[in-house]
Amino acid sequence: MIRLAGLRVHYGSFAAVDGLDLDIRGGELFGLLGPNGAGKSTTIRVLIGQRRPTGGAVSVAGFDVVREWAKIKPIFGYVPDRENHFEEFTGRRNLEFFGQLYGVPRRRAQDVLELVELEEAADLPVRGYSLGMRKKLLLARALLHEPPILYLDEPTANLDIHSAEVVHRILRDRVKAGATIILTTHDMDEVETICDRVGIVCRGKLVALDSPLALKQAHTERKVDVIRDDGERLVFDLDAEKGQLAALVNSGRVAAMRTREFDFHATFLKLTGQAFD
Amino acid sequence: MRVHIIRALLNKEFARHLANRGGIAFILLLLASAVLLSVFAPDEAAAAGGSGVGGGVHHCFIDFDRATPLVKHLQANVPKELQERIQFRELGNADAIEGLIVYPVGTGALQVRQILEDGKPAALQVYVWHPEGDPTALAPFEAWFWRESRRAFRAEAEKQADKSKLGPEPTFDPGNDWAVLEAHREFSRRVTEAGGRVPRLEIDRKGLGGKTLDFRSTIATAIVLFALYFTCVYLLSTLNCEERERGVLLAQALSPASPFEILFAKFLFYPVMGMLLSAILAGIYRPAVLGSLFFWLSLTAMAGGFLGIGMTVATLAKTQRAAFLGSMCYLMSVSMVLLICSTNGVPIIPHLTVEYHGPRILHAALSGDVYPYHWLHLIGAIALACGWLFAAGWLFRRRGWQ
Repeated sequence: MIRLAGLRVHYGSFAAVDGLDLDIRGGELFGLLGPNGAGKSTTIRVLIGQRRPTGGAVSVAGFDVVREWAKIKPIFGYVPDRENHFEEFTGRRNLEFFGQLYGVPRRRAQDVLELVELEEAADLPVRGYSLGMRKKLLLARALLHEPPILYLDEPTANLDIHSAEVVHRILRDRVKAGATIILTTHDMDEVETICDRVGIVCRGKLVALDSPLALKQAHTERKVDVIRDDGERLVFDLDAEKGQLAALVNSGRVAAMRTREFDFHATFLKLTGQAFD
Repeated sequence: MRVHIIRALLNKEFARHLANRGGIAFILLLLASAVLLSVFAPDEAAAAGGSGVGGGVHHCFIDFDRATPLVKHLQANVPKELQERIQFRELGNADAIEGLIVYPVGTGALQVRQILEDGKPAALQVYVWHPEGDPTALAPFEAWFWRESRRAFRAEAEKQADKSKLGPEPTFDPGNDWAVLEAHREFSRRVTEAGGRVPRLEIDRKGLGGKTLDFRSTIATAIVLFALYFTCVYLLSTLNCEERERGVLLAQALSPASPFEILFAKFLFYPVMGMLLSAILAGIYRPAVLGSLFFWLSLTAMAGGFLGIGMTVATLAKTQRAAFLGSMCYLMSVSMVLLICSTNGVPIIPHLTVEYHGPRILHAALSGDVYPYHWLHLIGAIALACGWLFAAGWLFRRRGWQ
């Protein structure tokens, strides 16, 4: 559905994206992760046609993003990281305006307002909305024309737990309906909860690509931290030092013991080279 | 181009102006001022008082029918402080409408005509053309003119007659025509007695009339022009940059609306709104103007020019504040250039600004005095408008939405 082949984007001599290869399947909820400045937003900007690639090829639904951008525009919805509404309009008027551009019936604005639970604030000017309400209005706008592709740049930032759950439910429903979603976020729990696959980029390069579970299993250390009764701290590798650990436990000299559980945060930090020693 | 998209974009622009009431308040103020102008100064002559808008004279033309020794002497003896403010020219080269010489506002003239009898200079006619109602406006120029004329006559007389019999120069007051004429008569008598001859002198003092610029039509022209500038340059550029700054321009660009459709809607909305407002303001001042082809052509040319300027500012400015400052800086820069060129007699440069032609053609349309040279100004305004629109389009293609 979405294919990036050797994508390179340079800002002068700085390589924001440096040879990124990705193949995102139809009906997949794909998480694009990485530290700040890793190239996630630049990649999204290329996908929405707002940044020309310096090199490589990018196609969406078989259309080249540079040459056939006009054909791609109607088939995607986009939630930017920074909200961009007409502040003086009501939420409903904002949606009706974009609905007119997409040629959808006026009733559709009400439908998406209900979907994101904004119907009560629909007739208030956006300038009075909270950050969370603005974010939900962005999602409502992106869903107006029921696009088969959604690009979401931190869609749950500033949302309370309930609202974040609402967004997750909507995204899962869209995926069930066959939509392809690319999501960037810094919320690792969100990634584990809803993403089918995750790509981790760092300094413009793809450093890992798999399902969240597989990534955790592949990159989390299987170790146990032990504190002996004399206060000494020991670390046992569960694969190589299973026998020694068992002997220590049987000797009754263990004061405390903790397994290093599968941790997506740790996996992320390790893969992006940001883990603390 | 899709009608439903253009309609949505136009509705959006309209709704934004309804929601942001500052623009509407300003338009209402403009309308109120036009109504007040119409109610409290209905009589053009009474309002004008026959005077030019600024008063005073910044330039004086010395128009002559032939390059006599007197004219050559005058040309060679212009004091430094008046050199930039005096322009010599043959009468045949002066701007004229239907045979009548036309002097721009803020100028006056000393016309020098020689009367020949039997092929010899018999009389010198000097016409003092001063702004109506202000006969002393040319005083510094007249003081110089009469002082140097006396010197020229004496130099001529000394060539013809016995210098010792001419006596001292009769004293005279250059600000008093009777004193000037008396002094010349006395000098002429002495020259004749000494065997020489100087032409007799005739002075005719005339006001330039009040048909050039009057307060009422000038204010009406200014209101109409400002309405166009306000909508096409200020509103267009600031709201466009505000949309860009907020990211809503990007949101529209990512919708099915093409860049051409978004641009077209803006191009359609602001000039049409500006022209509509200007036409209402002009109609309040003088309803008959709405039936004038020249008025509508002038309005279209100016709207096009200002649209080009507004789009250029909107393309160059990154933020709403930059757009506001850009449009104000442009206005101030052009005003200063026009003022400096006007007061120093700099040619050509003013003709390269829309703001030079605009007031002339709109004033002509509003006052109902359209002469052939106003059509030349209209052609100039149209050419400059095309230039600005081309520049704006070229810049927009290069710099894009962001």
